[in-house]
Amino acid sequence: MSDLETFRTRARAWLESVAPTYGKAAQTHLAYEEKLALGRRYLKARFDAGFAGINWPVDMGGQGLTHIEKVTFETEEMQFGMPTHFFGISLGMPVPIIMKFCEDKAWVKERVLKALQGEEIWCQLFSEPAGGSDLAGLRMKAEQDGNGWKLNGQKLWTSYAQYSDYGVIVARTDPTAQKHKGLTYFWVDMRAPGVEVRPVKLAGGDSHVNEVFFDDVKIDDSHRMSPVGGGFAVAMATLMIERYVATDSGGFGPHLDLFVSLAKDVEINGQPAIKDGRIRQQIARNYAMRNGLDAITARAMLMMQAGMEPGPEGSLNKLVSVRSRQKLSELAIDLQGTDGLHFDEHLSVKDNWQTSWINAPTGRIAGGADEMLLNTIAEKILGLPQDHRPDKGVPFNEIPA
Amino acid sequence: MSLLYDEGQLAIATESRRVLEARIMPDALLPLLEQSGQYHAPYWETAKEQGWTALALPEAYGGLDLGLVELGLIAFQIGRSLAGAPFLTSSFGAARAILDLGDEGLKNDWLPKLASGESIGAVAFAEGQSVLGTSVRFADGKLTGTKPGVSGGLHADVAVVLANDNGTPVIVVAALDGVTKTAINSFDNSRCVADLTFAGTPATEIARGEDALDAARHVLALQSVVTAHEQTGGAEALLERARDYANTRRAFGQVIGAFQSVKHRIAEMYGLVELARAGALHAATREGHPDFLKAAAAARIQATDSYDTCARDCVQVHGGIGVTWEAGLHLHMRRARTLAMELGNLFFWEDVLVDCLEGEAA
Ligand SMILES: Cc1cc2nc3c(=O)[nH]c(=O)nc-3n(C[C@H](O)[C@H](O)[C@H](O)COP(=O)(O)OP(=O)(O)OC[C@H]3O[C@@H](n4cnc5c(N)ncnc54)[C@H](O)[C@@H]3O)c2cc1C
Repeated sequence: MSDLETFRTRARAWLESVAPTYGKAAQTHLAYEEKLALGRRYLKARFDAGFAGINWPVDMGGQGLTHIEKVTFETEEMQFGMPTHFFGISLGMPVPIIMKFCEDKAWVKERVLKALQGEEIWCQLFSEPAGGSDLAGLRMKAEQDGNGWKLNGQKLWTSYAQYSDYGVIVARTDPTAQKHKGLTYFWVDMRAPGVEVRPVKLAGGDSHVNEVFFDDVKIDDSHRMSPVGGGFAVAMATLMIERYVATDSGGFGPHLDLFVSLAKDVEINGQPAIKDGRIRQQIARNYAMRNGLDAITARAMLMMQAGMEPGPEGSLNKLVSVRSRQKLSELAIDLQGTDGLHFDEHLSVKDNWQTSWINAPTGRIAGGADEMLLNTIAEKILGLPQDHRPDKGVPFNEIPA
Repeated sequence: MSLLYDEGQLAIATESRRVLEARIMPDALLPLLEQSGQYHAPYWETAKEQGWTALALPEAYGGLDLGLVELGLIAFQIGRSLAGAPFLTSSFGAARAILDLGDEGLKNDWLPKLASGESIGAVAFAEGQSVLGTSVRFADGKLTGTKPGVSGGLHADVAVVLANDNGTPVIVVAALDGVTKTAINSFDNSRCVADLTFAGTPATEIARGEDALDAARHVLALQSVVTAHEQTGGAEALLERARDYANTRRAFGQVIGAFQSVKHRIAEMYGLVELARAGALHAATREGHPDFLKAAAAARIQATDSYDTCARDCVQVHGGIGVTWEAGLHLHMRRARTLAMELGNLFFWEDVLVDCLEGEAA
């Protein structure tokens, strides 16, 4: 067995041993707060078992392995539905970025250890009402205030802000500069006076995203993680830092075998739906496409193991798989007829078609909307030109609102 | 076999591309469209000379002992350049049927000649809307009836034919001397499609009953993996042409690639090409495994959809120039459709795939 397979076997064995305590079955009918508490316990257990921070340095509490082991572990872990989502952003972006950009290593180490063990959560305060896809259009103000800074403004869509201890934030320090050039990057204490978090209820019923208001929030200059005016580059680095993640050709919804089972159970015109040509075609097309995504992922893993850089085609996964999940979920509801009307918002999007369907649109928006992903493919991979941008080269405060 | 190409395989890709790009000009392919039954001789000479006909056959019969991955790499380049004849895939299908099912005599008769390219093989399974048609009769070692629309059939020396013996499906091998070959005028004439009419043609049985139908599906699956690479190559060529045109053609004061409806269309083409490529390579590595048929069906479906869509969209990106004879994009349109039908349409492959999946799901 290769080292990687030994690692995978060890990871699987551990995951199986704790699945009854933390896995999918253990979470049914838990209230949200109870799920979070379970999640924290799971992270502690994962840390103690030596599967936390897999590709992070040992002196930061990590395991000192590579992103191959990390992706391998995540791929295995995903199958158990462990309650990790509260910590996904925290450990995915803000925490790695403080390791990279914060000076005070002792303080960083303390944060990393707490984050890895589920004791502290970090959020990412980038998007705003005026800055989503167009991140550099954000308006949150940071003004010099003595030796430090004073934050005023509003963030939006901040995932898990209500549970977060800290956050990373991009703010405008110079409104007279062009939009990308007047931004600076900081970290903030979410418990600081003047920070107010208000949950936003989403279509599927949950409220994990928030509006976050900053009213004269004072921070020390040591919170600054970029040169003044150099925040956009660190923001981009944040979005890029988790390049190697476990992907799911099911678009983080139900897998196709669940659809096949459903199609065998229900009928159309008195015969099993799986015998109906319309359904067969959808199954076949979806399988063919997901099979392609899986092969892309498998090849990327092999390339990483061989010390090569995986190709840019990995970027297709979210774009293609979530669209497919959305349509397949609609079809699965159709297939159930009036039975398809039953809805329980607490059921998992991984095995319930209704919750998968109602939550699918967020997958096509969060983390880069479909249209932005297409732009990136066109510009970065194919060398097609940027869109016409009327705000290019214009000082931020002169861009027509 | 791995999803990562090794050095030898990459060399095959580079060399075949170099040779094809130096020798095959689309200009040469256009006139063939207007003559039924002609193929591009320099292309076929190249295929023989380069050993592509021998590539995936055993050394014992004059082959090079390589496999689907390598043949796929060649087919990919051929798809980019547009094949001037269908024989590489048709001969490979015939040869594999003989290799897998035939006795030593039959193998010695045909495989060395198919490997050298001296003989051309055809696979004659379909009849009209039936991908696995069995209406041709086989009795007392003789074939009677017509197989319509056989790709490469006009120039083939040997065919692997699906027929029936008193109602039982059989696969037989028949030399085509004396068989009436009637060329069909098609929208992609270099495929040399012909109706083959057998009138007491001597033939040798190589499979019977359910085994014959399974074997027929397996031969089509093998060919489909080769063709999926060819389709991916065609789709990639169209993606590149669309991209290059969008980067140069100007309208309303900017290159058309700056319009998102154009730009996103091309980005979607990229996705289709990569899905097709990954599916085709995956299938090539699954030969000999229980999931081969499933992988081949999935590859075929994705590659067919990708090539058709890229053909449609690449023409659209080109505007009026795209629909001219000269520009030759219709060569790909035609080829995309031909390849979509030659080894069984998507209805057939969707059924094959779902049958596989149905068996698996709880
Ligand atoms: C569930 C969820 C969780 C999130 N979590 C976080 C978080 O933790 N932290 C954080 O900072 N942000 C978070 N976000 C915000 C997310 O990053 C933004 O929603 C996303 O970037 C889109 O921005 P927007 O909502 O302002 O939409 P807009 O940018 O207004 O987009 C509206 C539409 O316009 C299209 N569009 C915009 N620009 C272009 C263009 N140039 N070309 C073509 N089409 C264009 C978009 O594709 C979209 O279809 C989250 C969002 C969601 C839904």
